[in-house]
Amino acid sequence: MTIDVSPDLASLATAGPKAGHARRLAVHAVMIVLSFLSIFPIYWMIVTSLRPENEIFSTSLWPSNPSLENYVFVLTRIPMIGMLINTTIVSAATALLQVVTGLFAAYALVRWRMRLSGVIHGLIALSWLVPFQVTMIPNYVLASRLGLLDTLTGLIVPNAAHAFAILLLYNAMRSFPTEILEAARIDGTRSWKILWQIVVPNMGAPIASLSIIAFISAWNEYFWPLLLSRKPENSVVQIGLQMFMTQEGNLWGPLMAAATLASLPILIIYLVLQRHVIESFMKSGIR
Amino acid sequence: MTDIQADFARPLAVARAPAAGRQRGPFTVQPWLYLAPALCLLMMWTYVPLVEAFQLSFYQWNMLPTSPQRYVGLTNYQRLFALPEMRAALWNTLFYILGLFPMSVIIPLFVAIWTQDLEGRARTIYRALIFVPMIVAPVVAAILWRWLLNEDQGLITLGLETIGLGRIGFLTDPNYALATLTWITGWKLIGFSTLLFSAANAGINASYIEAARIDGASRWGIIRDIRLPLLSPTILLLSMMTILFGAQWSFAYINVLTNGGPLKSTTNIFYLLWEYGFQTMSAGWSSAAGMIAFAGFAVVAAACMWLTKRFAVYDN
Repeated sequence: MTIDVSPDLASLATAGPKAGHARRLAVHAVMIVLSFLSIFPIYWMIVTSLRPENEIFSTSLWPSNPSLENYVFVLTRIPMIGMLINTTIVSAATALLQVVTGLFAAYALVRWRMRLSGVIHGLIALSWLVPFQVTMIPNYVLASRLGLLDTLTGLIVPNAAHAFAILLLYNAMRSFPTEILEAARIDGTRSWKILWQIVVPNMGAPIASLSIIAFISAWNEYFWPLLLSRKPENSVVQIGLQMFMTQEGNLWGPLMAAATLASLPILIIYLVLQRHVIESFMKSGIR
Repeated sequence: MTDIQADFARPLAVARAPAAGRQRGPFTVQPWLYLAPALCLLMMWTYVPLVEAFQLSFYQWNMLPTSPQRYVGLTNYQRLFALPEMRAALWNTLFYILGLFPMSVIIPLFVAIWTQDLEGRARTIYRALIFVPMIVAPVVAAILWRWLLNEDQGLITLGLETIGLGRIGFLTDPNYALATLTWITGWKLIGFSTLLFSAANAGINASYIEAARIDGASRWGIIRDIRLPLLSPTILLLSMMTILFGAQWSFAYINVLTNGGPLKSTTNIFYLLWEYGFQTMSAGWSSAAGMIAFAGFAVVAAACMWLTKRFAVYDN
């Protein structure tokens, strides 16, 4: 071959224009099916939430008389606004604390060479593999002893440090040029100052990724709130949703309105920061 | 919380070879101050509880602070192994994990390879759409599918009836419930896995493919001999995640949708732990079952790490 054609163009050329066309159509067909599967349930949730009561079982793709009555019903029936505020507080605090504790721990491991650093690293990484269901009873007992049942603090504190956060920041920080740290240290700059004035300003991207992931996963967290929560007004929106479903499971309109309200903040974040959200999850993983 | 980092197998290996340029000096207190918040929290909420759970597994206790804990030795373990519930839950755990594989690994892998030529705007749009289930809360996902699959008026039920397949009790028939919950768990993953595979696939050096093509390799030959081996780190990573965390991911769906029923057909090991702990209030049983699960998954994790080291092909 003398010409520099891309491999796929070459294969299209040998297979003839028709086969190439058919293949391209098939590729789009696969992606359209997958996209439809991914998005349609959410679309159907929103559409159902907008249907008035007498139209709830309709199968039209858009309600003929869209109305907000389901939302009004939800807002008067359960303390939705309060729970959304609670969830925002819990998620933001969890993300912030995970960033701070993660930065400190990662900084300690990168900046100092300690005899035990391998052990500490292992301890941090292995804590990830302990299923929460295994430690839930002692955790619950501890939380109740500390008076954290049915409080927002109780939802935040156990998640304030996470192996994932520490390792993500550690991996990012290790690629930070050590010469700069070294130079600052020789100048006699205090480690606290080096962290905040030199390291953190250069860690914008990983900190942003971590914040996005930590916020979204704290927002979606279900199991720990399920154990701690008693009253809906002291709880997060996932628990509110679950309680509402148990009580009014077949009021499909209001149920879909509640589910829409519970997902709206995350969907808005996604609409605004779409590329960043995808990239953060892809680079750093699943929660 | 179940999460995993994209290069899961590496951090442990990295720890043994710290970056150069740091000196090993006399003991300093500073790093410990920086480590303290994270380490204290991990100790307080993970490691100490793990030890306590281990202790509890030899006791009988109904979780009331006022009632005493009674030492019973290995009785909890013996009872558990004799219980048919436990065996059923372990089998179901296996079914969840196996059922997830097509959606978390196999289909995404082939979709990613099949759609690799997509470019430009269409690609961006598909990417944005198929990622969405990943960020939907499990409780919301459960409610969405409960509505779509509702036995009276759900859209899918109505659709099946129109094409003459009759009604299926997706969540009420013991023959279907576990498959339904597996599907919902997988629904959240399928797009994300596809994106991970696409990214890995796009990273394969095009000159290998070109060379193989010049040598007359067929399309399938290229996939089998070049793409699949070079995708093996991603395949192993996603397989490991599915095995280690698949059963945990399904917890929220079981809890919200079926409570382990009908006829215990959807109870997996993690749900059983929760049931023993917070429904029947037998802390000892729950802890013993937890220890069994933890030990089992630790062995599996070690095996997965070994497999990754042994079989993953890295293109250096």
